[in-house]
Amino acid sequence: MSWSARKVANVLTLGAWAGLFWFLMATDRTSYYLSSRTDWLVPVGAIVLSLATIGRLLSLRSPHRESLRRSDAWAVGLIVFPVVIVLALPPASLSSFAASRRSSFSSAGFTTSAEDLAEGELSLADVAGALRSQDAMEALVDRAGSDVTFTGFVTRDSATPADEFVLTRFLISCCVADALSVEARVVGAPPGAFENDEWVRVSGKFYPLGGEVIVDAADVTKVARPKRPYLNP
Amino acid sequence: MADIAHPLPPRTVSRAPLYAVVGALIAVAALLQFADPARLPAAQNFVLVFSSLLIEAMPFILLGALVSAFIEVFVPARMFEKLALLPRPLQLPASAMAGMAFPVCECGSVPVARRLASKGLAPGAAVTFMLAAPILNPIVLASTWVAYRGRDIMWPMLLGRAGLGLLAAIAVGWVIGSRSKTEVLRARPADVEEHDHSHGGRRHAAFFGHLSGDFVFMGRYLVFGAAVAAALQTFVPQSVIGSVAGAPVVSLLAMMGLAFLLSLCSESDAFVAASFVQFGVGAQLAFLVFGPMVDTKLGFLYTATFSKGFFRTVVLTVAGVTLVGCLWIEVLIG
Repeated sequence: MSWSARKVANVLTLGAWAGLFWFLMATDRTSYYLSSRTDWLVPVGAIVLSLATIGRLLSLRSPHRESLRRSDAWAVGLIVFPVVIVLALPPASLSSFAASRRSSFSSAGFTTSAEDLAEGELSLADVAGALRSQDAMEALVDRAGSDVTFTGFVTRDSATPADEFVLTRFLISCCVADALSVEARVVGAPPGAFENDEWVRVSGKFYPLGGEVIVDAADVTKVARPKRPYLNP
Repeated sequence: MADIAHPLPPRTVSRAPLYAVVGALIAVAALLQFADPARLPAAQNFVLVFSSLLIEAMPFILLGALVSAFIEVFVPARMFEKLALLPRPLQLPASAMAGMAFPVCECGSVPVARRLASKGLAPGAAVTFMLAAPILNPIVLASTWVAYRGRDIMWPMLLGRAGLGLLAAIAVGWVIGSRSKTEVLRARPADVEEHDHSHGGRRHAAFFGHLSGDFVFMGRYLVFGAAVAAALQTFVPQSVIGSVAGAPVVSLLAMMGLAFLLSLCSESDAFVAASFVQFGVGAQLAFLVFGPMVDTKLGFLYTATFSKGFFRTVVLTVAGVTLVGCLWIEVLIG
């Protein structure tokens, strides 16, 4: 009986991915990659991969010599490479770069019901989701001038007036690959005080105008990126 | 059990490549410690999409490998041989409908289909199952319903997706016809893992051998596919296809092309499809039928799993059925 190099390589691969899933849970970083609908994949992946690693560890010895092929060695490197990237880089979320290349939430299939909008606190997703439904839009118009507080990051281009910016947040259904942007135009902000991708909390009165939501800012404060940077449906 | 005939002989080497790989990974990790990806928004976007695609898809590959290993070790081959004796007109729809009981996205169904075919199920039926499962499973249908809820095209989208998905999967199975598993499945490199069982090894060792072998084998192609999909998402803005929204056939082809590039999970693609309001029912439906069967990451997985020409067969057949079906539905609904 001798050690099988091939099985050792498989154990390394399984163990690396199991380690990544445990790391995501331990550091509470799952929300940087998955939505609340799919975050169960991380604990399930961690447990099953750990069991698979242990199962493979228990049968590492082989009656005949099993060498590792060159392609297998590089395959291990390739599969472990994403694990290294996630572990080594600081947590990040989609930015204004992504907002310029993706579809927006208000054109997507999400709608907010008129009942939800009639009373209670309004969220950025509620307001943007109302733009596609006539009933919801009427309910939203009834609340024009209400006070709102939204959190998101700043997106602006060279044509944006100095005291305006677009407050943006991404909504993900499964993972970051399907992100849709949720936007509100903020007016009356301190001129030149905010840069692209800075996270801010905006308080003020909101007004639906055509296909846009305008927030007349009373207060704009820089904040840290939220622990859950994406909205979920 | 021997998997596929003519396994490629192993090229044994010294330990040097393994050391080189480990060294390279450590070097990458060290370099990334000093990198500031936020200064390169495109790079940051690429890394985020790439890693999130993999974090979501790897557990499904694992689930597929788990089911595949279970089938290999615990399900007797004679069961599939009996199924293979059923007439094809019955076998293909039954395989497609079996997909309803397998609620995973497209990545998980590939290793299962390979195992089913290698155990004796007709390859056409196994492929039909593989293509139908990501569309017909209840989670995907429910997410489609949620995405289009409140819109007057909800039922055409839901029923159209299920119906055309079923048709396209059966059509591919039909085209593959009576080809044998050696003609359809690609020979793997000498798969030492899979000899555990046949050499009298214990069942649990064989099970974990197949599980880890399938995970590692499919995983490497998934990494390639996710990298290409992330690059396309980063460098090709979704607005580029907006200019063809009004063109009858071109808009359908554009949405099928977009589905191919984006490589979204079938459980979430309906939300993205619904955001293309400038496109008609047919084009949005084409996105939802074509994408779960043919996309960038699946291209890599199919090429690794099936023989030369298989990917072309799937692309042409699925595209044909999707195009004709979606045009017909668009004409019908207006």
